[in-house]
Amino acid sequence: MQTAQPEVRVTAPVLEVEGLEKVYGDVKAVRGLSFQVAPGEVLGLVGPNGAGKTSTLRCLGGILPPSSGRVAVAGHDMVGAPVEAKRALAFLPDEPRLFEYLTVWEHLNFVARLYGVEGWEERARALLDEMELAGKEKSLPGELSRGMKQKLSIACGFLHSPRLILLDEPLTGLDPLGIRRMKASLRQRAEAGTVLVLSSHLLPLVEELCHRILVIAGGRAVALGTLSDIRAQLSGPEGEGASLEELFIRITSAEARLEREAP
Amino acid sequence: MSFSRAVAFLWVATLRNRVRRQVQRLRQPKYLVGAMVGGMYVYSIFLRRLSFPGPQEGPPPMTQGVSQFLLILAMLGTILSAWALGPDRPALRFTETEVQQLFPAPVSRRGLLHYKLTRGLLGALVGAFFATLFMSRVVSPNPVLFFLGTTVTLATVNLHVMGASFVRTRLAQRGGVGVAVRWALIVAALALFAAAALSVLREHGFSPELLANPRNLQALMVLLLDTPALWPGKALVALPLARDAGAFLRALPLGLGLLAIHYVWVMKTAVPFEEAALVRAEERARLRERMSRQGGRPTPIRVRASFFRLASTGRPEVALVWKNLIAGRRLGSAGRLLAAGLVGGLIATVASGRGEDVMTHLRLIMAPLCGGLAFILCLFGPSAVRMDLRMDLPRLEQLRSLPLTGRQVVAAELAAPALLLGVTQVGLIVVAMVLSMGLGESRGPAWWVAGGLCALWVLPSVTLVGLFVQNAAVVLFPAWLPPEGERVRGLEALGQRLLTLVGTLVVLLVGLLPASLLAALVGFGLEHFLGLGVWTLPFAGLAAATVLVAEVALGVVGLGRVFDRLDVSSEGPETSGY
Repeated sequence: MQTAQPEVRVTAPVLEVEGLEKVYGDVKAVRGLSFQVAPGEVLGLVGPNGAGKTSTLRCLGGILPPSSGRVAVAGHDMVGAPVEAKRALAFLPDEPRLFEYLTVWEHLNFVARLYGVEGWEERARALLDEMELAGKEKSLPGELSRGMKQKLSIACGFLHSPRLILLDEPLTGLDPLGIRRMKASLRQRAEAGTVLVLSSHLLPLVEELCHRILVIAGGRAVALGTLSDIRAQLSGPEGEGASLEELFIRITSAEARLEREAP
Repeated sequence: MSFSRAVAFLWVATLRNRVRRQVQRLRQPKYLVGAMVGGMYVYSIFLRRLSFPGPQEGPPPMTQGVSQFLLILAMLGTILSAWALGPDRPALRFTETEVQQLFPAPVSRRGLLHYKLTRGLLGALVGAFFATLFMSRVVSPNPVLFFLGTTVTLATVNLHVMGASFVRTRLAQRGGVGVAVRWALIVAALALFAAAALSVLREHGFSPELLANPRNLQALMVLLLDTPALWPGKALVALPLARDAGAFLRALPLGLGLLAIHYVWVMKTAVPFEEAALVRAEERARLRERMSRQGGRPTPIRVRASFFRLASTGRPEVALVWKNLIAGRRLGSAGRLLAAGLVGGLIATVASGRGEDVMTHLRLIMAPLCGGLAFILCLFGPSAVRMDLRMDLPRLEQLRSLPLTGRQVVAAELAAPALLLGVTQVGLIVVAMVLSMGLGESRGPAWWVAGGLCALWVLPSVTLVGLFVQNAAVVLFPAWLPPEGERVRGLEALGQRLLTLVGTLVVLLVGLLPASLLAALVGFGLEHFLGLGVWTLPFAGLAAATVLVAEVALGVVGLGRVFDRLDVSSEGPETSGY
């Protein structure tokens, strides 16, 4: 199945990653990742469980210090100027982490002050409408469903109009209508120039939304490019016309075989 | 594989994996040191107590008599409550995992019942172990016999509770007649106990002096223990209270016989329990989910107004202070305790005062009460008011993603509890000063004002240092501190907590030393050169407070750097997949 993929204007990259490595004790979770993402581009991060996707996202978000390598967001080095870099990004984890004692509106107020968002009320109302949370302003997270919490977390991430949005399984807990709205919302932000780095196991979603795809296995980048590029990488007739799911299985199976055979 | 072998495998594997995991953790020095300290503590507090001077010596007869009486009452109380309290349904508790894994498995109801009985026996063993640790020294001369006897007794009582729940379920199925039969049995048992107590009192004679003399009480207890009404209780505790091996062996047939009779009774009266077990497992799951939604709190959070309106522009770290002040307002109970203390003081004042003496009483009681509370807040406030990094420890990852430097995060996290405690202390000190000025003591109002001004600087500063030390522990040793609402078990966790406690105390004392020295120097200088007398106190206090605040400011800078470098994946409580 071939999906028409949106074109991207090539300008100065918003996200630059060079030789990123993350080591936990004896385990190398991320091994020498290097890539750049231009404004308006959506990069999909896919890989099997334990491939290093979440560690990569956490390093990009400044949550984990990289063991080596460099991450720069909007030209700000994550180690040298972490505050400026973090101000330009939003990290949306798969499990929404909310403060159980702050209401929905207070969460947005909190974020507005952290990022210095002037006129935040208007923007917050629009976001609550977009996320179908209007009327829930005075609710505590304990009174919200799993999907609503996820939407609140996303609204908090969008409030300061970040230049880079890191999403770890963004559609977890959303109903079909919520998923459709969220996809439209992400697409709209990408069209406005925001960079999205999206990690998901939902390959059709990645195929539909992402301009480029980074396949990670064993912490290494095993494929990077558009779906057509990745198809082309798989030389021979088996690469032609394959869906992302088929390509993913072929690439990761080959990688796993290589790892098993390695001394 | 048979069910019993599968269960044995499950338990052995669980135990083996738990031990293996704990042993693996000991490779890390922080856990090894914690385990050593925890082990020494447990040995010194509990295990050492088990060694008795010799088999001849034991607890005095009076102590043993009281222990026997109390044990009998506890056992009979448990049995009676099993018949009288709670719902009429089988008292079999299965976890959600057990319900999911065992109920659909090809296992008979009898098999499931045996599974729970065996678990009950293991529970009795653990209960007997702890009872031996805590009680055997005052109850029995032989801890081994006490442990064995307590195991049999607890297992019997456990079976009785289960059997009673089965019988109650059966009786409830018969409607009103069944309920009447149950309550008739309970009332008959209570009447029997009451009659026994009355007959003893009648025999011994009751007078007000009776309760004042321990010998009389002992005699009463002996008489009561000899009444037939308490024989079942005596039979139950005969094994744990056996004074020697001979007595134990003589009581053993009766103890084991009771256990066997109860086993047969339970197996004969067993009713279908799957539905009730499922309901209970779901109830627990719902409760857990509700608590998890409310940050580990069983009661719902009430939305109250925030202390101030948060503008969207200005220093970003103020957002953290605002958030934590809201947390303090909505989650904290320390404020309510303090208010209750003050209201209690006021009520005591009004109740004890007469006519025009009320104001004098108010000053006499409330001034030291307020001053004392302000001082106590220095000692216990930093441990009790925790809406800072300790509260946000499970969210280290979230804090790290904020566009704030480590210094900003640490300072803002410290600010909220410091503000709440500091403002409270200042308020209490001012009230104490105002009330104490009219007391007309020989020292005069100048002493109170000077002392109060000194306390105004010093007490909030000491509280700030206490808060800093507690928060520093979170940043420096996050893995040593369990997040709010989370239980961390094991010897090493116990040792780590002890080390953290001792460490914070030492750091606090070391931090106070330079401030005390400077305060002493300033006080001495002002008194010696200017002869300020009692008015040296505010200046000495101000000097001490300045040093303390400077220490905290330096500490915040250092701690901020550590926070910036903190790798939450290896140190924090959140370890994730890759």
